[in-house]
Amino acid sequence: MFDIDWRGLLLPLAYLGVLVGTFVTFSRVYRKRKAFESANLAPWFGPHLQRNIYLSLLHMEPEEGSEKAPKVPDSVIRAALLRRAVEDIHRIIQIRTAKQACSSLLQRGSVGDDLWQRFQRAEKEMEEELRDVVMEANALVPNWGQIIFQSANEIAANKALRDRIDEIEAQTENDKEWWEKRRTNIKTEFMKELEAEEEGSEKGQTKASLAGSEDEPVLVETDTPSATPSGASKKKGGKK
Amino acid sequence: MSDLESFDFIPLHIDPKSKAISAAQTPASRALEAELNALNSLHRSLHGLDPPHVVPPPPVPVNPKRSANIGKLRESGNADYRKQRYGEAAKFYTLGLQMALTRAAWEPSQLVREEVHALYSNRAQAHMHLGNWPEAAADAEASVEAKRQGNAKAWFRRGRSLVEMGRLAEAREWVARGLEFEGEEKELIELLREVDGKMEEEKVRRDA
Repeated sequence: MFDIDWRGLLLPLAYLGVLVGTFVTFSRVYRKRKAFESANLAPWFGPHLQRNIYLSLLHMEPEEGSEKAPKVPDSVIRAALLRRAVEDIHRIIQIRTAKQACSSLLQRGSVGDDLWQRFQRAEKEMEEELRDVVMEANALVPNWGQIIFQSANEIAANKALRDRIDEIEAQTENDKEWWEKRRTNIKTEFMKELEAEEEGSEKGQTKASLAGSEDEPVLVETDTPSATPSGASKKKGGKK
Repeated sequence: MSDLESFDFIPLHIDPKSKAISAAQTPASRALEAELNALNSLHRSLHGLDPPHVVPPPPVPVNPKRSANIGKLRESGNADYRKQRYGEAAKFYTLGLQMALTRAAWEPSQLVREEVHALYSNRAQAHMHLGNWPEAAADAEASVEAKRQGNAKAWFRRGRSLVEMGRLAEAREWVARGLEFEGEEKELIELLREVDGKMEEEKVRRDA
């Protein structure tokens, strides 16, 4: 009854076959290319020095002359892992601050798609990295994984504060020198002014009164720091 | 960090006695050198932990001993300050600061900020009484660095010190920024007015 006309169907079937085949090849090539591109994107962060040190310590190689690899004490390993966690904290902060800016720039079309891809890859890698650190920490000391990032966070914050304070304190020495110079400058200028005034008044005066006025500069000189505010209050009074 | 499975091997050397880590190849890059120094100092400070701990305990609760000592030093400084022995007061504050800043790195930074801002601010005032304007200005700046908001006194003290040193433009900028953080603070507003007055005065003098 249902005698299929195979010959008549040949053309549509061939059409379908070609269509599906094209789709498959296209999507395969496209995906491969995309994967290749994203694999070749520049990483968001530079090399993770602390992580490299930590893993290098775990895989120490024997030194020349000795057969066995040197034994690295656990405390060094723990310190290295903590350093790694501190660097991770810095990176998390960077990612968090960059995320907002990055997504809004992308929406406006100010940055290309590849930047966003790089960013997302960095984010994913960061998550993996954190998980890895927590696992390592738990392996070294039971339950350390829950605490290590708290400690790392405080270490990072303390370091930032101390760096700023050191910077300020380093500046103080220069400031002190500058102030010493300036103070002597002010003093000498003050003296010159006084001398000039004296010379002007000397013409009609006797030497005795000059001797008296010679005491004066000494008196004024000690007054210089407090002389400034009184000048200011005068000014304020004038303003009212 | 391109791949989670791989890492760049760094040839390292461990000193068998001191357990200090150093780069096996010299000269090492500066970053590596700095990082290894940080690692070694962290390692040393981990040895200072109380015996049951081998890793830093959670940041809170804090061992109250150091806080008590710092508080005591500040009180001694305040007592000397009230007796107008400003030099001694500054010395006590300095000791307190040393103690606060040598806290173990993993202790709460918020706590360090609290302690440090009060000590710096007090020392700034002692220096102001002694006429050491540069020191006072630096201390007040450090205090503000530790605590920006709710620290009007420190903002004022640096502003005043800058004015005393004749750095009017800097003082103006500083006080204006302080007002942004502190809102309408009477002392700061008055200081700002004073600075403006002085700048005006200077300008008139220069024009004359």
